[in-house]
Amino acid sequence: MSRHLLPLLFCAAPLLIAGPPAKPVPDRDLGLSRTSVFEVPAPPLFKDEASGPGEKAPPKRINKEYPPVIPHSLADCVPITQSTNLCLDCHGVPGPKKKGEATPVPASHYVDLRHAPDKKGAKVVGSRYVCLSCHVPRTDAPPAVGTTYRP
Amino acid sequence: MTLMLNRRTFLQAGFTTATIGATGLPLEALPAEAKGWNWERGVCRFCGTGCGIRVASKEGRVVAVKGDLQNPVNRGLLCAKGYACAQILYGQDRLKRPLLRKKNGQFDKQGDFEEVSWQEAFDVMKDQWSRAHKALGPTGVAVMGSGQYTIQEGYAAVKLVKAGWRSNNLDPNARHCMASAVAAFMQTFGIDEPSGCFDDIELTDTVVTWGANMAEMHPMLWARVIDERLRRPGYRIFNLTTYANATSEGADVEIIFKPNTDLAIWNYLAREVVKRGAVDKDYVAKHCVFAAGPTDIGFGLREDSIKAYAAEKDTQARQKTVVLTKEEAIARGLDPATRHERTQSASGSPQRHWLISFEEFQKGLEPYSLDFVAALAKGDPDESLEAFKAKLVQLADQYADPARKQVSFWTMGFNQHTRGTWVNEQAYMLHLLTGKQARPGAGAFSLTGQPSACGTAREVGTFAHRLPADMNVDDAAHRQHSEEIWNLPHNTLNPKIGSHIVQMMRDLEDGKVRWLWVQVTNPFQSSANANHWIEAARKMDNFIVVSDVYPTLSSKVADLILPSAMIYEKWGGYGNAERRTQLWRQVVLPPGEARSDVWQMMEFSKRFTLSEVWGEQPVPGLEAEGYEKGKLPSVLSTATALGYKPDSTLYDVLFATPAAKKFAWPDPVADRKPNSTVVHAGINWFPEKALFEEYRRFGLGHGHDLAPFDVYFKRDVSGLRWPVVDGKETLWRFNDQYDPYAKKGSGIDFYGKALKKLPSGTLEGPKPGDPVALPGKAKIFFRPWQEPPESPDATYDLWLCTGRVLEHWHSGSMTRRVPQLHAAVPEALLFVHAKDAEKRGLKAGDLAWIESRRGKIQARVTLEGRTKMPRGMVYVPWFDEGVFINKVTLDATCPISKETDFKKCAVRITKVV
Repeated sequence: MSRHLLPLLFCAAPLLIAGPPAKPVPDRDLGLSRTSVFEVPAPPLFKDEASGPGEKAPPKRINKEYPPVIPHSLADCVPITQSTNLCLDCHGVPGPKKKGEATPVPASHYVDLRHAPDKKGAKVVGSRYVCLSCHVPRTDAPPAVGTTYRP
Repeated sequence: MTLMLNRRTFLQAGFTTATIGATGLPLEALPAEAKGWNWERGVCRFCGTGCGIRVASKEGRVVAVKGDLQNPVNRGLLCAKGYACAQILYGQDRLKRPLLRKKNGQFDKQGDFEEVSWQEAFDVMKDQWSRAHKALGPTGVAVMGSGQYTIQEGYAAVKLVKAGWRSNNLDPNARHCMASAVAAFMQTFGIDEPSGCFDDIELTDTVVTWGANMAEMHPMLWARVIDERLRRPGYRIFNLTTYANATSEGADVEIIFKPNTDLAIWNYLAREVVKRGAVDKDYVAKHCVFAAGPTDIGFGLREDSIKAYAAEKDTQARQKTVVLTKEEAIARGLDPATRHERTQSASGSPQRHWLISFEEFQKGLEPYSLDFVAALAKGDPDESLEAFKAKLVQLADQYADPARKQVSFWTMGFNQHTRGTWVNEQAYMLHLLTGKQARPGAGAFSLTGQPSACGTAREVGTFAHRLPADMNVDDAAHRQHSEEIWNLPHNTLNPKIGSHIVQMMRDLEDGKVRWLWVQVTNPFQSSANANHWIEAARKMDNFIVVSDVYPTLSSKVADLILPSAMIYEKWGGYGNAERRTQLWRQVVLPPGEARSDVWQMMEFSKRFTLSEVWGEQPVPGLEAEGYEKGKLPSVLSTATALGYKPDSTLYDVLFATPAAKKFAWPDPVADRKPNSTVVHAGINWFPEKALFEEYRRFGLGHGHDLAPFDVYFKRDVSGLRWPVVDGKETLWRFNDQYDPYAKKGSGIDFYGKALKKLPSGTLEGPKPGDPVALPGKAKIFFRPWQEPPESPDATYDLWLCTGRVLEHWHSGSMTRRVPQLHAAVPEALLFVHAKDAEKRGLKAGDLAWIESRRGKIQARVTLEGRTKMPRGMVYVPWFDEGVFINKVTLDATCPISKETDFKKCAVRITKVV
């Protein structure tokens, strides 16, 4: 990634600090692509997370509501089909989290909010079965632009 | 990993192996609640599902969101984008001041962007408006709107453009999204929007997704589908698609078809239903008629443009003449050995249709045998014909079984289609034939992509041909009704349909539109064949204003950028895909000098006096009863009679009306929440409520009834599905047990009124005779399969399909600024089959050129992941402005709906060396 990414980082740097600048800005410096609309840029190369489960510490939670980002490679975990969900094989274990084991699926995932909201069931509910609807994987891409979000 | 792989073999029960977790947290008492976060109800900013959200704020900033437990749409859950609804407000490069291109202190189209005051921004914007208007009249100015407009914003835009400026050049990005669905609803039912609702997911036996990758595009609806599949062993999911996608992973049966052959598959299914005697004869006899239309309708392409590139002329020539392929000849019952040349004679009137007999309908279906359709439609060269046939039969078994209910869902695969209106109508064809429409758990169900494609673009009517509540500008009675509600002089409204959004781009290139205001959308990234339009925007004499929250590709080609307030920084309302209207309160203040779009339109309207806009105006091509040819009359004297003065402003006449001012601010419904529109405008009335209540008058009493503004803020209301009559929402329209507008005792009453008087004829055309009235009926159309405008050939040898990914919303302007979403999918990749890549010397990670007749760009190759291509086809998502795939796509449209087909054109791929 590094060779392709460097120009992007340099370009993004002033904006991360300054926000909308007071000096005249050429259009090529606006937006995320940092090129003229007439140019055809060569997109940088990013790499999917390659580490196996447990090899890297999970990243800091974005906030208490945001589903944790998947810290490890997905290569051997997908697809999730009707009969196979390998995510649950490791994560569908009783908590609390034990050292060296996967982060357990929390209690909220055992409550069927549509059909039986007052009862904790014995298995992860169907509406939460497709883990990738909410939990995103990661690559080595740095943020395209900074954020002022604070939980 | 080894452990997991080994265990895969005995994980047949995968899902059920999961055991109970123990980190118990009571659901309503998450620890966050203790931190002084203030929770307010909102709606998700993204797709047409319309998930209910709770928004937490603290010290004037949104700090988090969570799914609303009370909301039946999503019952407490959100997708990866939905949970980011707090973060999308806080990208570092939020636009906070107007930016104008300047040189030496003056506006200059070749200048760089400088910060200016709102005063200066509007001064220049108005000067430029007047210059364009003076030269070209009302058709020289245009507004591109959005299916992400709030209801109030869309309504304000309709008033400003159509009533104020007397221009119908207002069209939303929703044209690219569900115009085909609208056209099919109007032609089939005579009234827009789905008969069913999301409850159908739990009530049906089989879900069929057609060109709808629900797992990625509507994840919370998919959660409901999968939930139901896992709890009911007999439930079935069929996924019809042109490539294997995330929805395939959860489906029971995946059917990969060749682009454009979905029309042939529908006709095969209908033929089967007829042959097997599975037609619901009683339903059809009581509630349906059969219909057909012209077949040689072109592809919505440009004709004779002097700006056409040499390479694109052969595709454009098909707009005029088509030589039928052997298969097309067979499908039309012609001799396949003879050459058949077809002038596209109906390209000027593609929407015409007439009644036919059941026998004629059956005659149309006859060529679509299993053998013919399977050979035509099989989309994966590596699948056997027998296997493909077996799946088509399985699908037919589902639809033909009177004991099973089906819901057919579709999204962009149908709508973004050169035969988009037709293929939408074919879904109704089959559901009507089998009596499985407008009944709980059974129906053809068009899903929308955008949060208020229904609520705003369609219901408010921000299309070039529409007025609120399904009314049209070219209907004298509809104009008159609108003029009455708006207190306008008779004949203020322009009867000539304006330019749709694709046409606006072409008008820009032709110099026919010279002033353009883009609101809540990014059209220069989202429009196909984009090289033409960015060239026109930057190099011709025109003025382009872009209101947005972040700098986008469209703002890069703009002359003036206006900073907007977004979602929870303003009062608003959205209408989702099941007719559910949901309103929200403002939670936090917009940053810097960002302003709500309602404020922007109201403020700009103060710069127009009636004498400037309501005098006589030229409108080239205008021909309507009661109007002089090519002209809008002066209505200034009638305006005086209504109490207006020549120097009254559009603000006085359209927005700050005596009725509007009666909605006082502060208002108890606000529950101490702010209203920045009020503060910035320095007024003591409540524009968002006034606009909503006035808009509501259009729908009351004819099937579009909304509840009063305040009702939507009641604690126990999580939006309401219209028509809302006597405080009750409607779950299934046209069904007399649920819909108060359906005649009691009718069972089913398709009461829509539009296009319900038709001549009769054969498949070839109408015959002379009096038109027949069709009260209460829906139309079962016969629509043929045809070849698309462009298919792979020796030079451009691959199909290209474009679309979205789960993590990014549309052009990525919000989600790409959310760090974890960007890190998940940092750029648009080129999805290729391994053998196609190998043939071109490409491997994963390589840079490739993607080239069409219209342009070329670079992207990195991927051979795996959630999207798996069959040989012969590639896929590129369009969210990434750095991988500007719309420079490559074809701007062909459905000739009826004018919606672009982003799902197929021909490209070649080469390695970047």
